[in-house]
Amino acid sequence: MTSANGLICFTNCLLPLEDGSLVEKDLWIDERRGIVLDAQRTFFLRKERPDKIIDLGGNILSPGLIDIQINGAYGFDFSVYEGDDEAYREGMKRVALNIVETGVTSLVPTIITQEKSLYPKLLNLLRPFSMPNSANLLGWHSEGPFIQMAKRGAHAPPFIIPAPDRLQSFEEVYGAENLAVNEDWVMESEQVGVRIITAAPEIEGVMDTLTELTNRGIVFSIGHSIATTDIATSAVIHGARLITHLFNAMPQLHHRDPSIIGLIGASPHLSSAFTPIATVPGSPASPVSRNASIRLSHGGKAHSEAFDDHETPPQTPVDARHKTISTETIAQKLSQSKSSRPELHLEKGQVADMAFERPFYEMIVDGIHSHPNSVRLAYGAYPEGCILITDAMKILDPHLQDGVHEWRDGKKFVKEGDKLYLEGTDTLAGSVVTLDKCVRNFSRFTGCSLGEAIRCATYNPAKCLGIENRKGTLRPGADADLVVLDRKGQPVSTWVKGKQVWTKN
Amino acid sequence: MRLIIRDDPTAVGEYIANYICKRINNFAPTAEKPFVLGLPTGSSPISTYKALIKLVKDGKLSFKHVVTFNMDEYVHLPRDHPESYHTFMFREFFSHVDIPPNQVNILNGNAPDLIAECNAYEQRIKDYGGIELFLGGIGEDGHIAFNEPGSSLVSRTRIKTLAYDTILANARFFNNDIAAVPRMALTVGVGTVLESREVVVVVTGQRKALALSKAIEEGVNHLWTLSALQQHPWALIVVDEDATAELHVKTVKYFKSIERVQDEVEQMHAALRAKGVPESDNNVGSME
Repeated sequence: MTSANGLICFTNCLLPLEDGSLVEKDLWIDERRGIVLDAQRTFFLRKERPDKIIDLGGNILSPGLIDIQINGAYGFDFSVYEGDDEAYREGMKRVALNIVETGVTSLVPTIITQEKSLYPKLLNLLRPFSMPNSANLLGWHSEGPFIQMAKRGAHAPPFIIPAPDRLQSFEEVYGAENLAVNEDWVMESEQVGVRIITAAPEIEGVMDTLTELTNRGIVFSIGHSIATTDIATSAVIHGARLITHLFNAMPQLHHRDPSIIGLIGASPHLSSAFTPIATVPGSPASPVSRNASIRLSHGGKAHSEAFDDHETPPQTPVDARHKTISTETIAQKLSQSKSSRPELHLEKGQVADMAFERPFYEMIVDGIHSHPNSVRLAYGAYPEGCILITDAMKILDPHLQDGVHEWRDGKKFVKEGDKLYLEGTDTLAGSVVTLDKCVRNFSRFTGCSLGEAIRCATYNPAKCLGIENRKGTLRPGADADLVVLDRKGQPVSTWVKGKQVWTKN
Repeated sequence: MRLIIRDDPTAVGEYIANYICKRINNFAPTAEKPFVLGLPTGSSPISTYKALIKLVKDGKLSFKHVVTFNMDEYVHLPRDHPESYHTFMFREFFSHVDIPPNQVNILNGNAPDLIAECNAYEQRIKDYGGIELFLGGIGEDGHIAFNEPGSSLVSRTRIKTLAYDTILANARFFNNDIAAVPRMALTVGVGTVLESREVVVVVTGQRKALALSKAIEEGVNHLWTLSALQQHPWALIVVDEDATAELHVKTVKYFKSIERVQDEVEQMHAALRAKGVPESDNNVGSME
């Protein structure tokens, strides 16, 4: 299988580029160093060409897929720690070894809200981890505990808390060492490590901590939240760069207060320095306490946002008293970038300058968590920000049959195809879709090309996490984590660090 | 000189590729005695490269024992610039065939001492015993390699300033920004090309028609450097119908008749060889 000089040339294949196009081109990799090569430099400077040539028969050679939100798979739940480090590590290994059959070569294990004392332990176990022949576990994605009770989904109410002491509250829960500045946290310099925190910016103490977390290299994601448009926008200005499972566990899109969903259509007009929208200039982001801003007026019960006993809040906009965006902040941000395109400009096809980048947004494209129309709507609004995730539960396993399966605390799942319910209810209990299927679904739902769909599961998530030099790309120097897909988007083989780790018989 | 006329650029490319394939295979190159091939860049040879790649993929031709020398390269354009001739050659040809990288020679336009680079290039060609076959294209002004109008017809590898015409023609590759087009290049000389044992030139498209007519229907003239080929004992020009637009009907008819006679001669020689009569000379290419 190996090449005499350690170099491999993949030929007769389509390469998905970072802009979503697919081009017919060879790819050279170095299987010993496990990286993508600059073929031309290798030829002219190193004076070498690959001894091994692999003809892919016209298939697509994609960067390995990246799943930045996955709760578990193959019977292992990242959120369940039963007092045995070894057993937990075995579980991590099981997921890493098996998930490659779905084209995934990197994932961010996700834990849902826990009993407070468990966090330091779990997050320490979830340091970046990789072993030969398996996918890379890049770090952790912690959903909660600083989330909105009313949008808690499957998260356990007793563990959901505010952060009155701001950073200190965060450190108390997660463990200070787990929130260290990125360089101190990633032990080995060569290693790729990422941390994502999903929290609700309207929860006390969250908005004030957000910038500090971001500065430490942690990706802040808005989710399980009822933030108003102003709070959500303020969160982005403070450094939030992601929205957790768009459409789910957040207010529905209301045209007068589009809330979190509205961020993907954030208007240049409202983010322009020339259009003050703040009524209280200069005021810092005012934390909104958990209960104060929820007005339980009319509005029906929303399904699938919270288990059992809780009514979810109305979908009508909440009182707009909390105007949290200051004109100064925006003016400051705008002056940092070169204002080349003012609000009224003459360049067709271009958008006026924005004070901030719109955040990336995750979508579960199983056809259940978001209607195909909604998926297309979001993608149309902001294709560059779209990230496909599975948000899969531990029973994710392409080989698993439909039926009733054990979950935890005596509860049971019912799996019907890609649908997963809590037994005896019609409440969605997470997903069991695989990421390769999400890519195919996405291409069908939006009508975009396979190359553009692949981008949403490779380059976009890598860019969101700031690791696009190493992952989710075929740039020279990137890790040779690859998946070969046929022209229907079905995985044919998977490669990690230049080695084939899985192949369809 | 022979002139071969084909319907379109694809047919021209296939003809030349088959011709080169036959020459290399008849030469039977080895590691000790490689076939030394001169190569051009530009749009004209692309169809030839495509056809050569196909021959290699089909197993009919190998570049394992072929040494190549490219004609030219821009000065001070980074090697991996999308418009550099290194990039062109890698993208259009070298990445697709089995040539070992250390058998590929391209002038280094970023060498600290450009004159030394040119002299060393000439020396390397000599060390390999000269070029067996030089494949070339021409510019609209009849230049071969970057030997612009007015170049010495006995010139060797050297630094050349590009003609304004060439800069204008190349601007399309540099976002139509004249200022971004390199002004200088390193190029093999007309003398270097003429010294190779055989020269094959591809000329396609109506835009090259005047240059073709100047090069073969008028006298040797340094304002149309390709015309120097008239002095070469073994030259082949392959053109498409469009490129003949400025030629006399008589010229076209004459060369078409030569092609028929050439075929007969080659068949005759093949028959002789089949009977065991030894080949007196590899050179069956020239009727003159």
